[in-house]
Amino acid sequence: MSMPLTGFADRFKTRALAWEEKRARRLYVEIRPSDLLETANYLYKDCGCRFVIATATDIVTAITVLYHFAHDASGVMVNIRVTLDRDKPAVESLTQLFVGAEWIEREMWELLGITFIHHPGLKHLLLPDDWPNGVHPLRQDFRQDELPPPCPGRGAEENR
Amino acid sequence: MGITLNALTRSLSVFHLAASPCNNCDIEILDCLTPKYDLERFGIQLIGSIRHADALLVTGSVNRKAAERLKLLYEQAPKPCVVIAIGGCACSGIMFRDNYNFAGPVDRLVPVDIYIPGCPPKPEAMIAGVAKLIAKVRGEKA
Repeated sequence: MSMPLTGFADRFKTRALAWEEKRARRLYVEIRPSDLLETANYLYKDCGCRFVIATATDIVTAITVLYHFAHDASGVMVNIRVTLDRDKPAVESLTQLFVGAEWIEREMWELLGITFIHHPGLKHLLLPDDWPNGVHPLRQDFRQDELPPPCPGRGAEENR
Repeated sequence: MGITLNALTRSLSVFHLAASPCNNCDIEILDCLTPKYDLERFGIQLIGSIRHADALLVTGSVNRKAAERLKLLYEQAPKPCVVIAIGGCACSGIMFRDNYNFAGPVDRLVPVDIYIPGCPPKPEAMIAGVAKLIAKVRGEKA
């Protein structure tokens, strides 16, 4: 592991819930949600990592969010995983560090129902504004028949 | 043939709406305008405003957000306006038909005059489709 990331290991390895160097250039770290801001801040400001994207998954027992950081100088990908309570998933928003996290957090919020604390505006991104509250299509228990029919209003015949 | 129909079928101004597509159909539409096919020979040109359009070209599996825009665009188009659904998604929805964000194939939202299926349809198919459409509007046999 390259020099800046050695510092990251010294500082966070003992605090991490899991630490797996899967391949030479792939590092998986599971942390407590309360450590997220500090970890992301260290990777971004001290290690020179770039925030690539975040992904969230419903694994039935919990909801996990993976934050992908790239260390371009060495080609290492650092993946930070947080596991959240499935009934009330909430985690600090990374928009406090980089505004680029805003849209992906909006997407995770609407598709999986994760609340991002201190997010500047959690509103729908891909789904329409009249989407029913509390229906999250990427949850495992989502049922298609809960949905209202698309695009209420005039049908094709009335438009003719 | 009235003057409106004559004008409509002579030189089509086409407005292209990409309603949440994968971009493949859109690339093929642009292909129609390249020197190899050069649809501008026949006066068919893409224009930037629906208010000047004779035809509305729709690509993509229309999602719930795009559906509102599609309806709005159709309402703003000067009539008569022909609607062309390009690609499997716009014609039927294919594998996206059960998606939570799918608002229906184009004909569930606005009346469609011609369907050009394919994933994506070849430029030849689109040109043949438009030629048939013009013949149909004129009341000729294709």
